[in-house]
Amino acid sequence: MAQLFFDEVKEGMDLPGMEKTPTTKTLVQWAGASGDYFELHYDKDFAQSMGFPGPIVHGRLEAAYLTQLLTDWIGEKGQLKKMSVQYRGNAFPGNKLTLGGKVTKKYTEDGQNLVECQIWVKNHEDKEITPGSAIVSLPSK
Amino acid sequence: MADLKYASMEEIKALEGKKREESMEIDQHMINLYTDCIGDPNPMWKGIVPPGLITTAMISGGAMTLGIPLPHKRSVAAGADWDFYKPLKAGDTLHTTHEFFELQDKSSEKGPRALMVYKSTHKNQNGEVVAVSTNTIMSY
Repeated sequence: MAQLFFDEVKEGMDLPGMEKTPTTKTLVQWAGASGDYFELHYDKDFAQSMGFPGPIVHGRLEAAYLTQLLTDWIGEKGQLKKMSVQYRGNAFPGNKLTLGGKVTKKYTEDGQNLVECQIWVKNHEDKEITPGSAIVSLPSK
Repeated sequence: MADLKYASMEEIKALEGKKREESMEIDQHMINLYTDCIGDPNPMWKGIVPPGLITTAMISGGAMTLGIPLPHKRSVAAGADWDFYKPLKAGDTLHTTHEFFELQDKSSEKGPRALMVYKSTHKNQNGEVVAVSTNTIMSY
């Protein structure tokens, strides 16, 4: 995996995108791997009792995908310092999710090379369901 | 059917500041379950804990462990923030303090709505803060 350097980053540049299609099996795996056994994510009757057509993809799974988007981009010597997400829409098992991001600011502070980014998860209808932001640190060449 | 508990806004407000502590060793098996699930083959995660693992319910999900009742019928995760201060390695033990931080009443003419804010502080076995996470649940 190539190492990204601070010098190579420009404000306005896009992060390499990523696609994920979580299935019902993925949600079961996620429940076990993450410890989230909330019935909304696997019990159709329960999901419908809460007003949803069926089980929804965990917001935290989408957040985990976003951390992968960032750690893939920054490489071994980069560090994820901060990430925020808002859960504004729902995805359902089988929906293709598209992840992306854009650099909004780069600066040096307390000896660290920092880069701020907008990040997002879009659903299969291109609607931004999980927008967010992140700060990463990167090495210099 | 899940056994969800409900209470009035006043009763829930009185629970602000309630805390719970838990500890867990993060081993390579946990990392592997996580990376297999999300499809992250990055070789770095042999020995290093991916920061995404800190975002999972078992570590940041104070909402599920504090047993705070809900004010309204429907509840969903509204958002979350994480600050990552130090990397974790496989074999490290994480000591987490979950706190029900505050209840915000956001009701309007559209109907009842509340935000439940939880904060979790994660320390390693040396007492160093490695991450802080904030999770917000919307109940409506």
